[in-house]
Amino acid sequence: MKMNNDYLSIKSLKVEYMQNGQALTALESVDLSLPQGKTGVIIGPSGCGKSTLLNVLAGLNPRYSGRVMIDGRTPEGGGETALILQDYGLLPWKTVWDNVILGMQLRKKTHRATKTAAEAVLDKLGLLPMARRYPAQLSGGQRQRVAIARALILDPKLLLMDEPFSSLDALTREEIQDFLLKIWEETQLTILLITHNIEEAVFLGQKIFIMSPCPGKIEQAVDNIMAGDYNLRGRVQFLEMCSFLRSFLHRRGNYGMGA
Amino acid sequence: MGWVLKKAGKTLPLLSAVIILLIAWWLLSLGLKSPAVPPPLEALKSLWRSMQGDLPAHLGVSLYRILVSLFLATAMAVPLGLFLGKNPEMDTKAAPLIYLTYPVPKVVFMPILLIVLGIGDVSKIVLITLIAFYQILVTTRDAAKNLDKEYVISVRSLGAGSWDLYRHVYLPGCLPSILTSLRLGLGTAMAVLFLVETYATQKGIGFFILDSLSRMNYEEMFAGIIAMGLMGFVLYLLLDKAEKNLCAWIHT
Repeated sequence: MKMNNDYLSIKSLKVEYMQNGQALTALESVDLSLPQGKTGVIIGPSGCGKSTLLNVLAGLNPRYSGRVMIDGRTPEGGGETALILQDYGLLPWKTVWDNVILGMQLRKKTHRATKTAAEAVLDKLGLLPMARRYPAQLSGGQRQRVAIARALILDPKLLLMDEPFSSLDALTREEIQDFLLKIWEETQLTILLITHNIEEAVFLGQKIFIMSPCPGKIEQAVDNIMAGDYNLRGRVQFLEMCSFLRSFLHRRGNYGMGA
Repeated sequence: MGWVLKKAGKTLPLLSAVIILLIAWWLLSLGLKSPAVPPPLEALKSLWRSMQGDLPAHLGVSLYRILVSLFLATAMAVPLGLFLGKNPEMDTKAAPLIYLTYPVPKVVFMPILLIVLGIGDVSKIVLITLIAFYQILVTTRDAAKNLDKEYVISVRSLGAGSWDLYRHVYLPGCLPSILTSLRLGLGTAMAVLFLVETYATQKGIGFFILDSLSRMNYEEMFAGIIAMGLMGFVLYLLLDKAEKNLCAWIHT
């Protein structure tokens, strides 16, 4: 394996955290690599440290051991990595517009550049008419799109998503999945996404990482050539892949409990 | 047409509340037949007379004391509360100090403050500030502590530093609670104001009320009480207005 080709490369990552004076291991010897412009999906039971992993990659948790490289550098907040959380992390006291330009503001971009970029990204995501609204006035799918807009305006190279579609209804979920794929095809950014949903993993992940719980560890990395193919959704091959993953998760016996 | 109805929708409950209060007062004064509870009309007439006299000056002094105290309390308590709420390890260190001093009724320090700081405005302002400070501090700190960590994580991932977090997350996120604590603090401040103005002063609405009482001019005393109540009411309205404007996102 040529590690230097990988945009994202993690080697024997270990993360511990303190809880009530006790050291708990959240992640243990995690190995993961993803080439530039590819999509990766991590699937596994809840509480297996998936979010901890994303926090490390987003540069929010420097207390880890092992080697983590994004484009040859250690992760740091506010760089070329964007993080989208399960509940979107939109600030309820800011309008759609103010939420979207927040990253530009923090990076001290000029007023003009911010305005141009915000208009472009909101227009692209069909959010321009609701720019003056607050997140509470939007539907779940619209909020998700605002979160994506807030990330995209910064032109990220790596997009990290923590169960981004889990609170959406099935129809909106597929819509946004298609939408994410479109963006990925246009921008060729590298995406690493966490999910509970096996179909979602097969539809979106060119590489699927199966994670085991307590402490979290990558059990298996599966290459998946069906990712991003609209026509394959629901076909036999697709379903076979799903059932392969499902049986793998069930064999360990922990999936049902966690999910 | 719409705004007339909207206006009426707000004014009508207020008007009926005033009428109910006046009727209750009137019945009470009829029943008690005591000079200490004059009928409302007499008190209102007296209020009208006093407003031509020295009552506005007393009100002005009281208003000054209240506003300066609340301003100082807010200016100290909000930053400290946000800081403690954001940094749990500092809060653990500060918590014993806060919890040991919070329940001590600060009014007991009034005699000491009078001796140390004199009988002027300073001792009164310090006491009211001290009391409002704790209310705002504890509420602000708890609000900051309970703020959804998702907001912090997502904004940090956008590249926010400590100051950015205060500005974009902690302050706006805690503002509704801060304004609530200000409203509670205002109520307490008014009560304490009355107390501090009944000692060693010749100015303020508290003095006006007590002075009228000692002269057994009950109409004038009630005029003072009404004036004090109205002052509190107007301050409440202003805080309400501020909340509507500053926290528009809650009212959508």
